[in-house]
Amino acid sequence: MILLQCPCRYLLQVLTTRVQNLEKGVELDCQWVEFDDVRYHIQATVKNPNILLLSLSLPTPPPETVFSGGLPQGAIEAIKAAYGVVLQILDPPRDGFNLTLKLNLSKLPPDEEHKQALLVKIASIREVVLGAPLRAVLRQLVSRGVKSNLNKLLSLVHRPDESFFVFPQVDKATVIFPMRFKDSIDTVLATSFLQEFVEARKTAGLGNAPPCLWSSSPPQELKGAPEKALSANAGFVSFVIFPRHVDGRKLDKTVWSLSTFHAYVSYHVKCSEGFMHTRMRRRVESLIEALDRAKPDLEKDDQPAQNRSFKRLSLKDGRGSFNSR
Amino acid sequence: MDPATARPAVVIDNGTGYTKMGFAGNVEPCFIVPTVVAVNESFVNQPRPRSTKGGNWLAQHSAGVMADLDFCIGEEALARSKSSTTYNLSYPIKHGQVENWDAMERFWQQCIFNYLRCDPEDHYFLLTESPLTAPESREYTGEIMFETFNVPGLYIAVQPVLALAAGYTTSKCEMTGVVVDVGDGATHVVPVADGYVIGSSIKSIPISGKDVTRFIQQLMRERGEHVPPEDSFEVARKVKEMYCYTCSDIVKEFNKHDKEPAKYIKQWRGTKPKTGAPYSCDVGYERFLGPEVFFNPEIYSSDFTTPLPDVIDKCIQSAPIDTRRALYKNVVLSGGSTMFKDFHRRLQRDIKKIVDARVLASDARLGGQQKAQPVEVNVVSHPIQRYAVWFGGSVLASTPEFFTACHTKAEYEECGASICRTNPVFKGMY
Repeated sequence: MILLQCPCRYLLQVLTTRVQNLEKGVELDCQWVEFDDVRYHIQATVKNPNILLLSLSLPTPPPETVFSGGLPQGAIEAIKAAYGVVLQILDPPRDGFNLTLKLNLSKLPPDEEHKQALLVKIASIREVVLGAPLRAVLRQLVSRGVKSNLNKLLSLVHRPDESFFVFPQVDKATVIFPMRFKDSIDTVLATSFLQEFVEARKTAGLGNAPPCLWSSSPPQELKGAPEKALSANAGFVSFVIFPRHVDGRKLDKTVWSLSTFHAYVSYHVKCSEGFMHTRMRRRVESLIEALDRAKPDLEKDDQPAQNRSFKRLSLKDGRGSFNSR
Repeated sequence: MDPATARPAVVIDNGTGYTKMGFAGNVEPCFIVPTVVAVNESFVNQPRPRSTKGGNWLAQHSAGVMADLDFCIGEEALARSKSSTTYNLSYPIKHGQVENWDAMERFWQQCIFNYLRCDPEDHYFLLTESPLTAPESREYTGEIMFETFNVPGLYIAVQPVLALAAGYTTSKCEMTGVVVDVGDGATHVVPVADGYVIGSSIKSIPISGKDVTRFIQQLMRERGEHVPPEDSFEVARKVKEMYCYTCSDIVKEFNKHDKEPAKYIKQWRGTKPKTGAPYSCDVGYERFLGPEVFFNPEIYSSDFTTPLPDVIDKCIQSAPIDTRRALYKNVVLSGGSTMFKDFHRRLQRDIKKIVDARVLASDARLGGQQKAQPVEVNVVSHPIQRYAVWFGGSVLASTPEFFTACHTKAEYEECGASICRTNPVFKGMY
């Protein structure tokens, strides 16, 4: 797995099994947490097997990010546009969550293919809600209408108390990530990973990918941002998004990749640590082998004598010789 | 306060056959997947390129790096290895012990990032191990968890203790009992007193779920059922899972089957994997003979002939004398191969028989002067038996004491991996 998948695997599994065994209608109540502190809670009762209550809690936004009614801007419209009649937003949400949705399984389209596509879309609820503001900004790039918020720095939440920034301009949008890591080893690995990442962008064949820059100090665009948002121990990564990256179907993918960029880096840092350990284990094994080979022959000389006395005692050998007889 | 303690802990139970993973506080694991990794090893054994001429070397190097990420686990791995030859299957756990640490590390990585999709830095972890695991292997586990995944806290629990905790309710907190764990690859009978495993009394049996499957396969083959040979093990496994039950008496059961074949003989339908042609076969005596290998092992193998109830009785008799009554009172089943219908009834009856015979004998020996108190025998079974260990872990990890019993990252950095050798039994456990 190189990229993180967009739909939540468990949610999709729950929904699919539920739809397949609708008449059984077992009770369901479970909660789980995804990366970047996104919590899910899903509930269903025996009485109403068609109704599922899905609650979502988002990472707490830092002061510079604007939330309206506990949700990112434009999230409610995005939900309505994406799901139509199948989902209904409940107000107020369940205690401790930002959003509660009532999901009516009887209103799913009867056609298998559409049904599955919609279930996948529901499992991607996180992208719809958290990615809503970014999606609005990027959509402006391709639309011909009047553009608002130009040349104004926008901050969007992606981790608890951390945000990334978007700087929209007429023909492009710059997305800037301050990268922070808790562990010192992670920080070092992430820094070199990001530098490699920028290098890799320069190789031939990736000419159409968004230009990407890494710097240890905050880039110019972040001038107006608050002090706290400008400290990052693994530097700043910025991507320049052009209209060609967001037209048509590419928009969804771009939004998802950008809004989970930190999780992506952190996943690959963990992977590389794992692979280093694998290599180290292999190396230690080969060194031990070399050591064993280098042992003086002295031991070998007096081994036969020992072996004989041990052989007589060992059970396995006894049985072996018995069989051979 | 550490924010990680506010989030549910991650509970992963790695078994020989299946891994159960999920979040503490839920009643069901999120995923139950086969413990298997499919690795693309086409790059590992290639000779190093001699020439360091720019492009070619770089391409090969990055292809090698990509191959590192090119692996998958669980059902996906099984499917992938069937369809292509570049993937090698490796089973990281054998007989309840981790054998291949590289594969294990990759397996955990996918569990965390691809299946549960959580950030390991955000959660405490509860892992499980078999009662016979060496402390070194616990150290190794700790090293991987703390170094690679940076978990804030780790607890390695013993599987049978968790199976006991699965029967945990607010009114009853019994942490004494015998756990009969019949998995796919190993069968253990483990006595536990107050949350501590009585290590010297653990008994193992060389008969497990896989042997039941093999026995059924053999029976069907000998009767001449038309099952394609390459499919016969899978068919036997499905027959075992769907139709098998435990009978109270073999002879009576044979009679029943002979009198009313229509009622007892089931049909199995399948399609041949190569030609796709449908076939069907009968499922007869193997329905009750399969589980019977636990009670009369001599019908399956001549090497091991002690029935499971005898083994349990011997195990309890070798435990400290003051725990024995409590142990008889709480015999807990766990593992997928104890799911046969009426398995617990038969087990309870057979153990009771042995115990009663012993009490009678001692009464006779004492000449009726002193009567022994009758011994209560109780075999407990719950509907969640298949993942009882995981469920117990989920219950324990949702108590507040769990977080204080964990080894933390700070402790690990201070003392090293040796802290993982022992895991304290904490208050929530009894």
